[in-house]
Parts: sequence; structure tokens; C-alpha cells
Amino acid sequence: MNIEELIKIRDEYKPKLDRRMDRRPLTKDDTRKISIMMCRGSGCIASAGEENLYKIFDRVIKKHNLQDKVEVVPTGCQGLCEKGPIVVIHPGGTLYTRVQGKDIEEIIQKHVINKEIVERLLFFDPVKKRKVVSLYDMDFYAKQTRRVLHNNGLIDPMIIEDYIASEGYFALGKALQMGQEEVIEEVKKSGLRGRGGAGFPTGVKWSFAFKAKGNQKYIVCNADEGDPGAYMNRSELEGNPHAVLEGMAIAGYAIGASKGYIYVRAEYPLAVETLKVALDQARKYGFLGQNIFSTDFNFDIELFLGSGAFVCGEETALLASLEQKRGNPRPRPPFPANEGLFGKPTVINNVGTLSNIPLIIRNGASWWSSVGTEGTKGTKVFSLTGKINNTGLIEVPMGISLGEVVFDIGGGILNGKKFKAVQLGGPSGGCVPAEYLNMSIDYESLKEIGSMMGSGGMVVLDEDSCMVDTARFFLEFDKDESCGKCLPCRRGLPLMIDTLTKITEGKGKIEDLEALENLAKGIEKTALCALGQTAANPTLSTIRHFRDEYEAHIIDKVCPAGICAALFRTKCQNACPVNQDAPTYLALVKEGKFEEAYKVIRQTNPLPLVLGRVCNHPCESKCERGNLDEPIAIRHIKRFVADYAYANHFEYNPQSKQMRDERIAIVGSGPAGLSAAYDLVIDGYRVTIFEALPAAGGMLAVGIPEYRLPNSILNYEIEQIKKMGVEIKLNTHIETIEGLFSKGFKAVFLAIGAHGERKMDIPGENLEGVYWGVEFLRNANLGKQVELGKSVIVIGGGNSAMDCARVAKRMGADVRIVYRRERKDMPAIEEDIEAAEQEGIKIDCLSIPIGIMGDGKVSKVKCARMELREFDRSGRKKPYKIEGAEYVIEADAVIESIGQFPESDFLDDDKIKLAKNRTIVVDQRTLATNMEGVFAGGDAVSGPLTVIDAVAAGQRAVSSIKRYLRGEALGPIPEREDHERYQIPFAPDEDPQEKPRVKIKESDVEIRTANFQETTSNYSKEEAMEEAERCLRCDAELS
Amino acid sequence: MEKVSALTKDEIATIDNIIKSNRENPGQLVKVLQEIQSQLRYVPLEGQKLIADRLNVPISKVYGIVSFYNFFRLFPPGKHSVTACMGTACYVRGAKDILGEIRKKYKVEPGQTTVDRRFSLEVIRCLGCCAIGPVITVDGKVYGRMKPAKVKEVLEKYN
Ligand code: FES
Repeated sequence: MNIEELIKIRDEYKPKLDRRMDRRPLTKDDTRKISIMMCRGSGCIASAGEENLYKIFDRVIKKHNLQDKVEVVPTGCQGLCEKGPIVVIHPGGTLYTRVQGKDIEEIIQKHVINKEIVERLLFFDPVKKRKVVSLYDMDFYAKQTRRVLHNNGLIDPMIIEDYIASEGYFALGKALQMGQEEVIEEVKKSGLRGRGGAGFPTGVKWSFAFKAKGNQKYIVCNADEGDPGAYMNRSELEGNPHAVLEGMAIAGYAIGASKGYIYVRAEYPLAVETLKVALDQARKYGFLGQNIFSTDFNFDIELFLGSGAFVCGEETALLASLEQKRGNPRPRPPFPANEGLFGKPTVINNVGTLSNIPLIIRNGASWWSSVGTEGTKGTKVFSLTGKINNTGLIEVPMGISLGEVVFDIGGGILNGKKFKAVQLGGPSGGCVPAEYLNMSIDYESLKEIGSMMGSGGMVVLDEDSCMVDTARFFLEFDKDESCGKCLPCRRGLPLMIDTLTKITEGKGKIEDLEALENLAKGIEKTALCALGQTAANPTLSTIRHFRDEYEAHIIDKVCPAGICAALFRTKCQNACPVNQDAPTYLALVKEGKFEEAYKVIRQTNPLPLVLGRVCNHPCESKCERGNLDEPIAIRHIKRFVADYAYANHFEYNPQSKQMRDERIAIVGSGPAGLSAAYDLVIDGYRVTIFEALPAAGGMLAVGIPEYRLPNSILNYEIEQIKKMGVEIKLNTHIETIEGLFSKGFKAVFLAIGAHGERKMDIPGENLEGVYWGVEFLRNANLGKQVELGKSVIVIGGGNSAMDCARVAKRMGADVRIVYRRERKDMPAIEEDIEAAEQEGIKIDCLSIPIGIMGDGKVSKVKCARMELREFDRSGRKKPYKIEGAEYVIEADAVIESIGQFPESDFLDDDKIKLAKNRTIVVDQRTLATNMEGVFAGGDAVSGPLTVIDAVAAGQRAVSSIKRYLRGEALGPIPEREDHERYQIPFAPDEDPQEKPRVKIKESDVEIRTANFQETTSNYSKEEAMEEAERCLRCDAELS
Repeated sequence: MEKVSALTKDEIATIDNIIKSNRENPGQLVKVLQEIQSQLRYVPLEGQKLIADRLNVPISKVYGIVSFYNFFRLFPPGKHSVTACMGTACYVRGAKDILGEIRKKYKVEPGQTTVDRRFSLEVIRCLGCCAIGPVITVDGKVYGRMKPAKVKEVLEKYN
């Protein structure tokens, strides 16, 4: 083989590749030959199940006699593994997802013969919520820089000529024309750092081995990808094996080695098979063997199958394993570059490192280093896995932000859940939480925050992952894989695991955290090899970034994510701020025992009628049934039970056990105040609620419109509470807290809500026709007439904004919501946003009003378009005005609803501590303010949150008040009554069959927007029982 | 240690053959063991003695290797071998529930074989199919996007 011959082969096969890179879209009368690129990566093969798609394509093509017009090419991993099996068709790059055997006839008929797109198989963009035809238009690909992965998807990895046509082996030819040191210099100049994780400069490593004395030297390719959750190497080997062989040969030439080994995991059968074929072909063409490219350079490669031991990823352990021994690591120095395999100078490079070598030599170091950051050049292949929409294999320029990877390329978090962290570097690495989404991905930045680049596994965690459990998971992994040779690793890791286990069982102490950190640092310093030295990293990093989660386990005895089973009964109950015993009342409903169910609900929930309607139901998002089909409609069932009791005059007001003399004042009659009052009277205290407004219920009464929560319903529940002995004084302003104490109250609970209105502060806000959200809703609720006119603009994206918009609609206006971020960022409950859209309310996202205009009265609103840039601490992208992108909307009225704050000014006199945003400052766990005997909770403390959070705050406050009155120390864990438990037998039937939830009827849009009647109806008895039957009864399983 | 039954004639023949075919490459202990594992699907204790004898290495060295690498099994597997991935990517996507379902439905713990010897269960640490996790394999075939409710459906295909 010489360069001329190589050029001949390339030129012969080049047109084939060009055809596959033709981006011009398919046209009706297209005559271009069609290439069907079928992913043959391990992921897509597994996704295809029993079917061999290649064979089916072949058969169908032959049946239609299309052999000349179309080729089917099995390729390496194309990246979008989640949607596999993937098929890409050129020209045009149409990408079809989840292709099954039965789809192939249609693809051939429609796409190949009729030149039409098969819509139903297209990729659905989870962010933009639309189908995308071509991969060139997909953010998933557009934001990548595919260099190492360029051939994945373009060539058939089993055909060496395809690789040559893609400029393959030209780098080897070129290198052999250069001096050895010149090659090393070029690699040094590129700035390439080891892609296996440690990031040591590759050129420097080579120069050590080059200088080392010895007539026999070795190149070892580390393909023992043991980091769980990472499969870059697997895909590189399966998709582009010759790049690795070429890289090894160049490395061999540079350091003076004649022999190379590829240490590959036996668990990767397809990679092994691909490599075997590639090695044969490379030998046949003379790229391996004697006198390569007619020079005196000889080089050959042997495959070695690793038998599965994580520690063998460590250099010295890998060498021991190659020498047919147990893979025990040994101390360094001597470094392998001087004394490696069989005692000879050896360079060990990762698959990813070697795949980059041909690119550097062929295109030059300066081309190669044109992307990346100062200290971290080039691109990096990552496998993106975990709780993310587009899991798969990606290649990005170094220095890209983590947020771009997760949200733009990755398409955000699965099922719209909340992002928690990304774990990089596997069991040796650390996590990166939301506040670092803007951080650049490079070796130094990651290290600074206690994570690491690692080999390229990026596992995305969402709100359902517990960080304590995650830390323990990694330690268990390291413990299992530890070779046991050194004491720190052998004894230290189990000790750490014990401590973490204690914490996950709620038996931890706060001192344990420090002990863990010390132990971790000790192991780091004294362990023999990298496995032990880095084993504690995930623990340290989770303690650093998620200390609050550790504290929740230790202090509150709660696992917020709902993972640590010792700390809760069922996930739904754990997710409920008031710990509602949902499984029990669901089981009772299933048996038709509605009154008992009502009792169970009311034991921990004073407002079932209300919450059955307006709760944001965090329980449902944790429901196990959701993993099968859809979560149980827990809230609808609660509503059914509450409505049943209401309609049948069934009352259940727990009786107080003893009467007490102490009087307690509650300021505010919203959900927090009512809930505290309820718990206090049950305990025999005498309670008076002071309410400034003419109606009781706080935001429930004046903030939530009639069609979501009828006043009659709310009033019934308030009456029940009054019946139990709570006194409510309406129209009563409290002047000072001192005054309450002097009237004989022994403790005070401040539940004043957040009724103050935040304003945009833009010109024109004082024009007639500008309203404030809370005030507008209050007037509507209290029955005051509001003159809106024909078209109304509502500003904001929260629940109040949705309510304003829907109320305005019912007043006959044309309504448009203007919101500054994207729809998915809206804080309102999804169901309410959907309902608003159904009712014909338009939503202008990424837009902000900058001025209201009119002659005394509103006539126009000037808005500016926004664009999203970096991420803020909440993990959402921050909106910025686009210069010059302004537009004007006609409007008769504007309702501003951008947020509320507590009207807490009167507390200044008592020197009660307030935050800058006017919320009351309390101890988060006891809800105690800085004034003795005064507690606060609900929106007044947290800013606007949900109704159920307010109810929970009321209960927490009562716990503290009782302890305070008894003269005890305040404790972090609220007292919970032990309620009588219903034992409901559960016969686990055979496997649950998929069955979606029983749908609730919504009234017709036409009718419902014409009046203020409640929009959602209720389950019938039968429907409720049917739905309750879907419950998997996790309580029975766990007890 | 559990009692290990003596080797069958066939097993001895297989082991001998593998050793013979590797004669030319002395020091190929791991490779010999890998081939035995692949053909017999386990490396019997008796067999290890045989290998130590024939290759003239101490039995402790053979055992050291077999016990070190996850690839080797010491006991005969069931008719079908099931593995459940407990790698990070699969773990965060609910691998624990999948493993739990297999244990419960088939009354088998990792490292063991069902009473009817139909399935043996192993836990593994990543197969490289992380993007479609949680993943299990049966006799080497990969099943992705598993749900607890799908476990039975998949395993019942194997009799
Ligand atoms: S983590 Fe399960 S296949 Fe990688």
C-alpha cells in the first residue's frame, strides 16, 4: 500500500459518501439514489427486539425491485438511542424513530417510491413540541460538533473502503512521512488530553515513552469501559473501529512500538466482533503488519478480552490483567511509560484519545484545537443518560455549558420533572447541581466544584433521585469492585457505607456528616490506587451541594425524593405536605366505604372539599402507578369522597379530648390559619382567628374564582371548623402583636398570606383600565362589577394570572396572556394553563410589556420580545429583551399579576424580623419568629405557594405552639397524632394490566366560559370505585 | 463452601480440549478460563484443580483469577441466565424495581438459580446500553426500557 493506491480507493468510494451527505431535501420528482442508514449500535439492536431490520429492509427492497435505486447501510451508533431503532434516509437526512419491522413496507412505499415523508415516525421535539423532519433541523444534532463521531452514521463500520473514502488511513500515511518527534510535537501542540478521565496531556505521555530506553515498547488501548452509565467507547468501537486502529498505529510509530493491545470488555460482544473484522481488513490492506506504507515500520495489534473488573480501568491493574494475572493495581512510580507491560515502556491510551489522533495528524494541530477552551481543547464525546428526554451519544465542543447539553441537546428532563444534578465521572466523580448549569465543561471548572470530566458518562438526576442514596450507591459499587489489597479501601469504604445507611434509615446524627468527610479525606490520601482515592468523591460532592437533603434525613427524618424506604410508608403519602394517608382512603373507596374514607382524609386534612378541587397534588407525580400507565387520580377521588359526605350530610369533626384554658390568636383565616385552628381546637385550645377582610378563607375566598372553588363549598368547610369551636372575627385589623398578648392570648400564629401586589413599574400603570391581579380577583369574588371592555391583556404566568385571564374571559373579554419566559417555565399548575388555552385564551410567551399607552384610558400595550440566555439559579433560562423587537397590542384593559408579597408592615412595630421581600423570617423547622410565642407560616413566610403547603405550615405551627405552651423545647419534627389504622386486606391479583385513569368530565368550553359555574364535574360512585381499584397498594406491599 | 459434584466426562473432555488448543501460548491462563466459562457457562472447582494440574500453576492462582473477575461463575447456571443491570444510568431509571420484581416473581436472589433451575440471576454493572435503561438480558439478548410489569412478559418467553 502506498499513498497513490490509497487515493485511488478513496476516489472510487467517495461519491457514495457524498451522496449520504447530500442535505438537499427530498423532492417529488427526485431521481437521486436513496441511502437508508440503519443504526446497528447495541442500543438500537436491543430496541429492535427479535427483529432483524436489516433483513426486512433487504427483503422489501428486493420485492419492489429497487436494488439499483436504494442502498441500506448498517451504521454505528447515530446518537439518539432513546428513540431507537433509528433510521436516517438521505438525501435530506430524514430521521425516523422507533422503527419496527412492520413500518418498513410503508417507509419503502411512501418515502422511497412516492418521495413522501412518513409523518408518524418523525422525531417529536420535546422542547419545541413539534415534529422535525430532518436531522439537520434538530437541536439534538445542530448543537453538536461531531468530529470523532463524524463517521458514525455515515459509513458501514464493517467496510474499510467506507473509512478510506472518509479520508481514513491518510493520517497514518502522513505520519510515516514525518519524524517520530514531529508526530509527538504535533500531538502536544494540539493540547489533546487523555479522554479516559484523568486528562493527562497525550503528547507528553508519548514523549516519556519515546525517550524511555528499551527495544520493545507497547501501545495499549484501554477499552475496558467500566464506568456504569457510560458507553462512549463501545459506540466508538462499534461505529468507527478503524479510527482506533489508525490512532494506535500512529502512536506506535511515534514512540517506537511494534505491538499494540486492545483491552476490551467481554461484555461488549458487538464491539469485539467489529474490531475483529476491522483488524483483518487493516492487515489485508497492509495498514497493520510489516513495512507499513512501504516504510520499515512494523506494527500489529492483538485483542484482549477483559473479564469484567472495574478496577482494570486503572492503568497498572489493566497491565496486570493483560499479563494474565489478577488485576491488582500497584503503586506508581515506576510509571508505565518507563516500566509497563511485561516491564517494558508502554503507553496506555483510551479509545476516545486514540480516535482523535488521526484527526490531529490529518488536519493539523491548529485546526484541531480551534474549538475548546484555553486549557481544554477539542471536542468530547459524552453519553447522556438518566432522567433526560434525548438519552444518547453526543459530541460537543469543550467549554459548552452543562445547561446547553442537558436542556438544548438533551431536550430537558423526562416527564417535565425538575432537574436536580448531573453526575459526571461515575463512581469516581461528583455531581453538578442546578446552580452550575452555566458552567463551562472543561477539566478545571469541573474539578473546582468537586466533580470531574471522567470518561464521559453524564447521568442526569431529577427530583426523584435521593442524593444520600446516590452517594451510597456509588460507594457500594466501589466496595464491590475494590480489589481489597489496601486497608483504607477495604475497611474505609464499608465504614462510610454503614454511616450512610444509618442516615438513610433516619438514624443518622448531624456529626456523621463531618465524620464522613474526614473518613473520605483519609481514604483519598492513603488508598493505593485511583479506585480507592476517588471512591469518596460522590459522597463529598453530594454533601457539598446537597447538604440540605442530608439534613432532611438526619434532622427531619424525611427523604424528600421518596427513595429511602425506611423513612416513609408510601411514595404518595411521603410527597404530601400533610402526609395524607392516600393508600388507605383509596382502598376504602374501592370497597365502597366512603364515610370511612372521609374520616381518614379529615384526620389530617381540614379542607377536603377545597383541596379535592384546587390541590396541586404532589402525590400524583410520585405515584408508582405512573410508571405503568398513569398515576391514580388521587385528587379526584378525594373530591368525590368529600362531595359525597357533603351531599349526604355526613360530618366528621374530631372531638377534642380535653378542654384547655389557653387562648391562641391566629391572624388570617386562609388555609394556614384555618388548618392551625382546626388542629388547636382538636387539642382543646381556645382559638380566635382575626380576619381583616369581610369574608373568611383568605386567598381561597378572594383569590380563587368561583368556577374553580364555589364559595358555598368553601363556606361549608369553614362552618364545620367554626362548629368545632373556632371563633372567627371578620373585618378586624390587628394593630400590634403586643396588644394580643395583653388581651390574654398565650401564643400567636401569623398567617396573613401574601395579598400585596407587585408592580411592573412601567409607564402608564396609572391609566384607567389597569388592574391589579389580586384586587381584580377579590372584586370579582366579592361580586363587584368590573368594566373590562373588549380586549384584555393579562401579565404573568402564575396561578393568579391564569385565574385573572379565565375570569376576564367569563366577563366576555378577549384575553391574551403575556409572559416573559417560555410556556414550560410558567409556575401555574399545568391543568390550569391547559384549561385557559382550551377556553381560547392566547398566550404570548417570551414577551414583556414595556409601556401602557392611552389617552386617560388604556388603548394599547407596547411589548418587547424576549430571548433566553444563560440559566438562573432555578435552572430556568433567563429572559432578556431583544433590542428593537418591539410590538404593540390593542387593549381596553390590562391586568398585572406578576406576584404577591405579604402586607406585613404592621409587624415592624413589634420588631418582628422581616426579609427584604416583606416575608416574615422564621426558623424553617419550628416556624418560630424572633418574638417569643409568635409563630408564622404559609404565604406570609414563603411567598405565594400552594394551598396544601399552607395547610401543612398551619400544622407545623401548632406542633410548635403546643410544645411552647408546655414549656418544652421546640423540635424540628412535627408531632403527628397516631390515628386509628384501617386494616384493609389486599389480595395482590395477577399482574396489573395497563389501564389509563378514569377521565373526569369537563363542561363544554362554550358553556363554561359563559358563566362562573364550576368547570370540572365529579366522579360518579362507580367511576370513583373503578379508579380507586387501579391503586397498586404500595402500603400493603411494604408493610 | 457448597459441595461441588465431580465433573462429568464431557466436562473433562471440554476442559482438556481447551487446554490443548492453547498449548502453544503458555501463560494464557485467563484465556483458558474464559473459554471454559463460555463453553461450560461456569468454571467448576474440580475443573480449576484440573487446570492447575495441567498448566502447572498453583490452584490458588487459578482461584484468585476466577474469584476476581465478574465474568466467571463458580456454580452451574440455570437453563437461562438473566442479568439485571444495576449501573448508574439504569439505577436512576428504576433498576431496583426491576430487580425486585424478578426476585419476587421468580423467588431468586442475585447469584442464585431458581428451584426449577430455569433461570439464574446475576446483577451486572452496565452493559453499555444505558440510554435505553433499565436493561436486563436473557441469554445475552438485551431488553431495554424495562418496567416491572414487563418482567414476566419477557421471561415467560424462555422455557
Ligand atoms: S447503566 Fe445499565 S446499561 Fe449502562
